[in-house]
Amino acid sequence: MKILPTLEGGLRIDAEDDGDWQLLSGITRDAVSCDEKLSLRLGSFITDIAVVSDWLEYIVPELEETFHGHLAHLAAAISAARFEAAGGPGPLWITPDDAFHWYSALNQARLALEERFGFGPQELIDPAELPSDMRSAFLRSHFYCTIQSLLLDHVMR
Amino acid sequence: MDRSETITETREDTSLDAPWNVIVYDDPVNLMGYVTYVLMKVFGYDENKAAILMMQVHQKGRSIVWNGQREKAEFYVQQLQSHQLKTSLEKAE
Repeated sequence: MKILPTLEGGLRIDAEDDGDWQLLSGITRDAVSCDEKLSLRLGSFITDIAVVSDWLEYIVPELEETFHGHLAHLAAAISAARFEAAGGPGPLWITPDDAFHWYSALNQARLALEERFGFGPQELIDPAELPSDMRSAFLRSHFYCTIQSLLLDHVMR
Repeated sequence: MDRSETITETREDTSLDAPWNVIVYDDPVNLMGYVTYVLMKVFGYDENKAAILMMQVHQKGRSIVWNGQREKAEFYVQQLQSHQLKTSLEKAE
């Protein structure tokens, strides 16, 4: 897989085989892999009784809908590009308008993996010392982080 | 006493007027550049101020990124959470 900035200010992901498409499709699977919803986890420090009940009733469902929308956008883009490429080599374009949806979906995936596996700061981890399921999750998280960094450096600024 | 008599009770509520803090917490996932980007986008801070607040989050574990009216604080917390930053609001001491 290759990822390059485009002249239009976006990114182009060149998938080379079905394994690459599977890896990309895994973003949305990882994003929903945590038992507790992200919309609840983000507000776990809100403890003021004057705020909590309204927050749970009104804001959490709205956040949930927003996050779900970003994942649906990403899933549709990957699915369409994979279909176009018949599961083989083919491009996937991220335009500047798509960038935040992508960043959000990748972040949801990384936050869910962090919640499940508790990696902590990436620079302190030696993947070779991790059990296989954890190592696989760590490497996916690292891959997602690489795309996020490219989005930040080339598209969202 | 007439059973239909209405009892009027007056309570003073100043919670909407008291200042509230918007707090961002550190986490091992959100990139430092992204936290800076979000603070600039949500609050309109310049890059220097946003970066200083981001470093406070990173080094101290949390930072008060805004202070003011409760209604607006709730709006900002919602905005920050929609960008997936762990945040809360609390009454300023």
